[in-house]
Amino acid sequence: MSQNRMKCLVAALLATAALGARAADDEIKVGACQPITGRFAFAGVNINAGLQDYLNYANEQKLVKGKKFTYFYEDSGYDTDKAVATFKKIMAQHSPVIMYGESTGLGKAIAPELNSRYKVLYASASFSSELANPATHPYSFLSGPSYADMFGVLLEYIAKNPKGKGKPKVAFFYSDTEFGKDPIPWARKRAAELGVEVAAEIVTKVGAVDVTTEVLALKKAQPDYVIFQGYVLAPIPEVIRGSRDHGLQTTFMGTFWSVDKTIIDKLGPDAEGYMGVNPYAYWYEDAPGVVAMRKYNEKVHPADAKYRPNSYIQGWFTGMVYVEAARRVVAAGKPVTGDNLKDALAAIQNWDTGGLTGKGGFVSNKYPVGRVYRANVQKGIFEPASDWITVK
Amino acid sequence: MRIGDYQESYAADEALFRTPTQRVWLMAAGAAAVVFPFLAGDYLLYLANLVGLLAIGALGLNILTGFTGQISLGHAGFMGVGAYTVAIAATRLSLPFWIAVPLGGAAACLAGAVVGVPSLRIKGLYLAISTLAAQVIFEWVFGNWTDLTGGIRGINVAPATFLGFAFDSDRRIYFLIHGLAALHAYGAANLFRTRVGRAFVAVRDRDLSAELMGVNLFRTKILAFMVSSYYAGIAGGMWVYFTKVVTPENFPLSLSIQFLAMIIVGGLGSVQGTLLGTVFITLVPEGLKVLTQAVRPFAPDAMSYLFPLRDILFGAMIVAFLIFEPHGLAEVWRRIRRFFALWPFPK
Repeated sequence: MSQNRMKCLVAALLATAALGARAADDEIKVGACQPITGRFAFAGVNINAGLQDYLNYANEQKLVKGKKFTYFYEDSGYDTDKAVATFKKIMAQHSPVIMYGESTGLGKAIAPELNSRYKVLYASASFSSELANPATHPYSFLSGPSYADMFGVLLEYIAKNPKGKGKPKVAFFYSDTEFGKDPIPWARKRAAELGVEVAAEIVTKVGAVDVTTEVLALKKAQPDYVIFQGYVLAPIPEVIRGSRDHGLQTTFMGTFWSVDKTIIDKLGPDAEGYMGVNPYAYWYEDAPGVVAMRKYNEKVHPADAKYRPNSYIQGWFTGMVYVEAARRVVAAGKPVTGDNLKDALAAIQNWDTGGLTGKGGFVSNKYPVGRVYRANVQKGIFEPASDWITVK
Repeated sequence: MRIGDYQESYAADEALFRTPTQRVWLMAAGAAAVVFPFLAGDYLLYLANLVGLLAIGALGLNILTGFTGQISLGHAGFMGVGAYTVAIAATRLSLPFWIAVPLGGAAACLAGAVVGVPSLRIKGLYLAISTLAAQVIFEWVFGNWTDLTGGIRGINVAPATFLGFAFDSDRRIYFLIHGLAALHAYGAANLFRTRVGRAFVAVRDRDLSAELMGVNLFRTKILAFMVSSYYAGIAGGMWVYFTKVVTPENFPLSLSIQFLAMIIVGGLGSVQGTLLGTVFITLVPEGLKVLTQAVRPFAPDAMSYLFPLRDILFGAMIVAFLIFEPHGLAEVWRRIRRFFALWPFPK
């Protein structure tokens, strides 16, 4: 190698190092343990895409002055042990100030170290109310309402829209899991407050196939509304079909994971009248925030821009929260640390998300806003049945 | 190089580690294990702790399945019994860990004695199904006896402390976990040099002949279940102090199956094989992950295909193992040792 070439090489190396050093200064690192494989992969892939896209979008639009987001994600396989290992690995390799996690399990397992050692802002795919507790989980927040809040939205809707005379009757139909049982105690209390009668509570395994006895129980209780919790798909279609066969006129409702377009595709004509609560707007709505998201997708991923499921929007919204918190910290002239981010997050109130979700703010580390939607089978989409409801 | 097998006393003849080579390597491994936590980062330490915990559990299952021939699909359930006992003892009764963990072992041991009763009448696949039932029952109890187990939310536990010293970091608890793992591996290796252990093996090889030779079948089988679940209980108990939270979802059927995979890949009826199998099943997926991560800069969009590919590759490795090395990693290890016994001279 000639001397000149050597000099050039050294100069290039130095320049890279200098750039690297500078980049570290105006960089906000976001790490994520995403369930790209495993039984939650159907959502994990989309959440990951949504979160990554929003951070890139924020960089492109320069939403946080003088700062750039870098995103590191790894697959954690929806397995708590592996997810904790992945969490520690990302923290050790990149030391981000913001983390994303795959599940309620990870949130619980990492909490002691998150509070005492890592102190980074943390959000996850979970809507479990246990993680929305500033006393025990000061650094973690829900990027939406908790499942209990979602029940709150539905129960409020039911109380305002009774069928016939007398107290409206509702049945809770949930799975025998943490995901299924999480909101139930609160929902019972809330129903009593709102004057809604809980006519039946039915518990099954996730993905139960034979639901004959459960349908008969529904027939006996004759509820006006049934709320599903703790399922993604099965056995919701089976229960709805079975109930229709028995001539039940009940309105069936679901929470976040069971109000995606797939349920209409799966049920066909039986989906008519199916309702649910969604914390976010759907892909095809016309609010400015949603249009901006679609436009960005048309530009960056033209192949996927036709439709994106709710989990993508969940990831996108989580990104919005991260960016908003960081923007506030930077605007206040403070260093971007987990502590400052969590304080900035708690101060977000009356926030306009461009219609991606309702106007609102963070209350005990969650964003308790949601909207009731009804399936329109002909168009194959969900349409709003209420305004944005904030749960108090 | 080893050139002979001279023993000068009965004690030397009966020693667990008989050759100087073995002893030197064992000491080297021990020293490496002591130094490791001071060199390794968080991530490696966490994985090492996981391996240590699972190794205790897998040793238990190998005692039952590999040495006594009683197949069990309820091993994770026993681990759960130990874990919940420890969590309840530590939170409600405020017992220190050095009482709570043995208590967890004892509770799992009792549960094992009960679940083991049908083993006298049923064998093989039928026994597998009856232990599967135990797994389901345990899981149900963990999730639904809310007053005792905290239901789906589980129980949060403070770190283990001993005389004011808190085992609150991965490094500190490493010594506790690996100390216990070493102790239990040593116990298992010795067990099969005793009458009880040999009775286990006799039952596995031919239970009728064993009975004719004076082995009390009922007692032996129950004892095997008890010892095995005791190991699981200890593993579960340490698990609680390791993760500091216990929920019903920590001990699913898939974990029971993972334990079976460990002892099958490692080698049924081999203590060494169990340890190797645990390392293999726990670390190979992580290793494959590192490989897929390495590809990322070149194909950033291919990740959603590459990640699932890793699982397929892992499955293929297990199948390949069963076909080409049915005696497991223990046999591979033995071959390596035999090769080096005369090294550098040819056989």
